[in-house]
Amino acid sequence: MADAGDSAPKRGSVVVPVESTPTLRATVTHLIESAADGEFSSIHFVVFATWRRDDPDTAGREAAVDRLLERVSTWAEADLADVDDADVDDVEVVTAVVGADEYLFGADDYVRELAAYADDHGAETVVLDPEYTPVGNTTLLQPLEFALSNTHLAVREAPVTRPTRRERLRKEATGIRFAATFGLSLAFYLALGDPLYPFDLASGVASAAIVAITLSRISLDANPSISRTPIRLLRGAVYVPALLYEILMSNLVVARVILDPRLPIDPTLNRVRVIVGSGLPITTLANSITLTPGTLTVRARDGNLYVHSLIPWAREGLFDGSLERWTRFVFYGREAARLPTPRERDDVGIFQGPDATEEYPGARSDGGTRGESDAGADGSTAEAVEPNAADADEGVTPE
Amino acid sequence: MIDAIGPARLALIVAFSLLGLFFTFVSMTGVIRLPDVYSRAHTASQADTLGAGFTLAAVALAAGWQGVGFKSVLLVFFIFVTNPTAAHAIARAAFEQGNVPWTEGDERR
Repeated sequence: MADAGDSAPKRGSVVVPVESTPTLRATVTHLIESAADGEFSSIHFVVFATWRRDDPDTAGREAAVDRLLERVSTWAEADLADVDDADVDDVEVVTAVVGADEYLFGADDYVRELAAYADDHGAETVVLDPEYTPVGNTTLLQPLEFALSNTHLAVREAPVTRPTRRERLRKEATGIRFAATFGLSLAFYLALGDPLYPFDLASGVASAAIVAITLSRISLDANPSISRTPIRLLRGAVYVPALLYEILMSNLVVARVILDPRLPIDPTLNRVRVIVGSGLPITTLANSITLTPGTLTVRARDGNLYVHSLIPWAREGLFDGSLERWTRFVFYGREAARLPTPRERDDVGIFQGPDATEEYPGARSDGGTRGESDAGADGSTAEAVEPNAADADEGVTPE
Repeated sequence: MIDAIGPARLALIVAFSLLGLFFTFVSMTGVIRLPDVYSRAHTASQADTLGAGFTLAAVALAAGWQGVGFKSVLLVFFIFVTNPTAAHAIARAAFEQGNVPWTEGDERR
């Protein structure tokens, strides 16, 4: 709660990231009360998009978010009506979806989006619902609060009663995600052991329970849907032989390059902006790219995959986007698979070599200090980075 | 066990083992010959995918569709999930450290 002394002149905006939690209702009430106390003049409830605007098949998720935001604003209006105070007449309640431009990975990305939104709307405070955990952000990963502490935003938690640990555990333990993770782990355990042997059965149940409690929220970022999961698995089964064929072909090509005495490699770092959807689809794609020899996913940043390619052949294959197309087929079906290739969409870039189309990205262009340019310029980083100017008097060829 | 295996199956087992050996050898050669951490990560993961893949396929064929054979199929599956994750972790760590990929004309590192 703000001090009585400075609450009157400081009527700023506040940003509240929300998702559907048991304490959301109380958090909304708390914010309206704070506003009635004169602390805030406008309240922004925001939801992080788990999709990107041009993704296929996002209507369901968008509708769910719209429903949530609608519920929040209804609650806020009801609370505003309850507060019997002239002060609240000019309190503004705004709802928004942020981050639909890019895929967000982890707390840092969420905080960056949040800070950008706060700057745009002149907000200096963030109030967190104590139960709030953005997608994929759990106690095992870097908490949002920690990432927020590196910004200029003032952060505080809404002082609302949280459900007890036991209640939460009970609620989580009855969820579909929990059941799915538990069932899958148990089935796997018993497949390795003997389902009829009581010791295996008991230890299997125990380990599956531990796995489900700790990981069900990380492994699955949404409830698996009964209608969609089986067909995805089916399409996945079609994808596996296709992927194996790709792996075999590029293995042979790369093997020939490696065994060639001249070692004709031409490695470059490249960028592809992929359209597959956040979470599992982009992970599948990045893993498939890495599995195929000749291409290696180095970084997923801002919806771009940074891919290192060993030979131009592998790079061309990457830009033709056959794996991207397959990933879309697995997750969204044949319709979505037919989008143009990354090259046709002009969503590609080469960072190095004679064909370079874009500047080499620094290691941490999103907030760090050490970029490629300063590392190369002062030359103090030993032999790690040698400017290309050395090409001319380079007599020694790689052995 | 071994005498129960027919000649065709035996030939396939030997072929798969040899293929596994070949790709492991290629991968090893690559790790020695290639110039930097990124390109080595390419070829190091090659040993896992096809080297281990073919070898485990040979094991599965030899063991038959029970117990060991089934587990070796599961092993292939896990290698295919974990291997790109590990390769990505190495490459990402190198990138975050500011390690610029080797290009034509650079010195070997």
